[in-house]
Amino acid sequence: MSTQLPHQLLPGAKEVPFAEIEGTLSRLVQDGRRRSRAPARSLTATVVVVGEPARLVSAADALAQLGEAGGVRTILISQGDQPSPTALVTEHSIAIAGLAPRYIDNAVASLRLSSLPALVWWRGGSIEALDDVAGLADRLVLDTESPDETWARAQTFLEETAVTDLRWARLTRWRALLAHLFDLPRVREAVASFNRLSIDAADVPAARLFAGWLQTSLRWPSSNQISIRRVSADGKSPLERVQLEGDRLTITLHVPSTRTCLHASVGGEDGMARVVPLGDGALTALIGEELGIRTRDLAFERALGAARELSVS
Amino acid sequence: MSDAPGSGSNPLLDGLRIEPTPDPTTLVIFGASGDLTRRKLLPALYQLSRGQRLPARFSVIGVARSEMNDDEFRRQFHDSLKEFAGVEKADEVSGTLVRGLSYLFGEMDDPALYARLARTLQESHAPDGVLFYLAIPPTVYGKVVEQLGAAGLTRPSTPTGWRRVIVEKPFGTDLDSARALNAVLHQHLEESQIFRIDHYLGKETVQNLLVFRFANGMFEPVWNRRYIDHVQITAAETVGVERRAAYYEQAGALRDMVQNHLMQLLSLIAMEPPITFSAENVRDRKLDALLSIQPLLEDGAKTNVIRAQYSPGWVNGSEVPGYREEQGVSATSVTETYVALRAQLDSWRWAGVPFYIRTGKRLAKRTTEIAIQFRRPPLHIFKRVSPTPIASNLLVVNVQPDEGISVRFEAKLPGSRMQLAPVMMNFRYGSAFGSAVPEAYETLLLDAMLGDPTLFARHDFVEASWALITPVHEAWRTSGPAAIPMYEAGEWSPREADAMMAADGRRWRTL
Repeated sequence: MSTQLPHQLLPGAKEVPFAEIEGTLSRLVQDGRRRSRAPARSLTATVVVVGEPARLVSAADALAQLGEAGGVRTILISQGDQPSPTALVTEHSIAIAGLAPRYIDNAVASLRLSSLPALVWWRGGSIEALDDVAGLADRLVLDTESPDETWARAQTFLEETAVTDLRWARLTRWRALLAHLFDLPRVREAVASFNRLSIDAADVPAARLFAGWLQTSLRWPSSNQISIRRVSADGKSPLERVQLEGDRLTITLHVPSTRTCLHASVGGEDGMARVVPLGDGALTALIGEELGIRTRDLAFERALGAARELSVS
Repeated sequence: MSDAPGSGSNPLLDGLRIEPTPDPTTLVIFGASGDLTRRKLLPALYQLSRGQRLPARFSVIGVARSEMNDDEFRRQFHDSLKEFAGVEKADEVSGTLVRGLSYLFGEMDDPALYARLARTLQESHAPDGVLFYLAIPPTVYGKVVEQLGAAGLTRPSTPTGWRRVIVEKPFGTDLDSARALNAVLHQHLEESQIFRIDHYLGKETVQNLLVFRFANGMFEPVWNRRYIDHVQITAAETVGVERRAAYYEQAGALRDMVQNHLMQLLSLIAMEPPITFSAENVRDRKLDALLSIQPLLEDGAKTNVIRAQYSPGWVNGSEVPGYREEQGVSATSVTETYVALRAQLDSWRWAGVPFYIRTGKRLAKRTTEIAIQFRRPPLHIFKRVSPTPIASNLLVVNVQPDEGISVRFEAKLPGSRMQLAPVMMNFRYGSAFGSAVPEAYETLLLDAMLGDPTLFARHDFVEASWALITPVHEAWRTSGPAAIPMYEAGEWSPREADAMMAADGRRWRTL
């Protein structure tokens, strides 16, 4: 695994020894202020991203955009075997390459903004380090390609740290649209009769979370039928189609060919159809949304527990 | 399964990050062809729909005098989105909303119009939650509500239904007219059904005042006469009367700004902590604050209210006419375009702390802010080494355009000498959170649909505010044109307003 961080990760960054990060940050802030003569911006949180270098690039882009709009300090860390590697530093961002997992928590503890919330965005790496950084995070956002191992570990510290998965944020529109439909009297009356769920999804773990959410929210017995089918798609949405069926009613949600919205229908009736925008699924928007949340998400935790038990046909 | 969720509650709402969604709603806009509808209401509905804040069953019935059919109203909707919401062409969101738009036209006092409205509501199987929005001239508020009442439209037809009415400002023109209008509304509606809108209260920074004061332990202990010297509330505009001369000639700055917006700001600054963040608790405490203001004309020795009118001048590098030269304005008009006043509150917290309010058109800069000036330290121990007087601590709440909060305090200048200088510590919504702040009308429309009146004015607040303002108008009414001082457009204030402050040993803040 490469431990080198590409310079385009933080354009214009200074490369400094680990011990000089804090001093460099202070100097850069002062220099920036002298240059622009603008008042210092209010910083509101620290975002720590841990992952392989390739996955840090997209995170750095997203956080750079977020930083243009709001005040966050970002710390990007790729894992390696060095206790004190060099770092790239800009006014509000730090990138550290090849840091040994056992020192990640020390690095985060020394570089995070004191007294302000810290969000850890976990994009992969040593699972042992996850335990350590979770203890420093006010909110832990999981975002790994194969989430089973991290999901299993995350379930052990739900009591101490507010945990979520970025997939959960991607599902918000789908969940909200379905919840809207459950306000319709005809749907409300049929709640107890729903017993079959089928999902076509580009992201199967997301489909498992969605199914787990529905299963726990509707308090389904294990005998109810859940099927998840993997389909290929353009990546704009984690799910492509959801069908919830009962003996009295069928609800269908799907992404139409325009690829910009979500369409919902109840029992095939036009009068109860609903169209909502697909929403901004960009990493910037998703992580920005996560920054606004501080509390435990019990619905996610229940969904996570159920999702781990689901097998995919 | 025995414990499956029943039909009583929505089992999927738990933990949903989307904010509460109103019950199924039909929005009936009176004045649907007007400026407010096009500029504010229709774009707000579009943004709410984009954010999935509208209920699954939502429809709009536009009502106005202009002859128009459903399709023309729908075209107006698209035009409005293009002009005021930057939506260049129809999309899925506007398409969904358009399907729920319909239009009725007729005279506002014609019972047949209301019979057709009732029939439309019934035949379209529209939701039984109905929100009437009175985006019409204030002179017809009473007539419309009377007709709604007579047609049986102010009462829901099902146990779960509801009826609410949003009333735009101005709510009356003086105390008597406000009382009369409240009486008409109360003949047909409960107070809980009436939502008197003041768009200032929908602004994020104004709502943040409550959070700032009551969710922080460090400010409330010093929020009183012992530590605060005075408060200055400023709402300054660079524009003139624009196309509103007909309205403004009758209203003036005192009615247009002070009676509603600025009294709301004052009450939020001066109110005692509510027991809970419930609409009634918050509004009770705001009313207390307003009721504690001494009558503005009873302080015989001092001039508590200054009015003025702008004369020709320069604003933002452009030469502008005086008020009396504006189109639609009388050449002998004595309508005030500027008001400055001193309010004294009779309460344990604020006794002896003046609240200065100023508002005007064609001033040097567009800004709305609340500045709380603290008392100086009792002893200047640095006087011998740094003889410059210490600047008072200042807490400034910027309402618009650059929403945020700043604190001014003294700091030591770097160097071997002990020199002091004031510095500002700034918090800005834009740079700290970045996220787009919702338009006030989005917030307020949604709150009305949800039935949350916290950010709306209650009848007693409106009347208490008019009770303060009306005697001032009465006094002005008896004086002639020569009595109104003038200020040059582009200046900050007339001499008389500066003199009012100087008499108290204070100065207006330089903005």
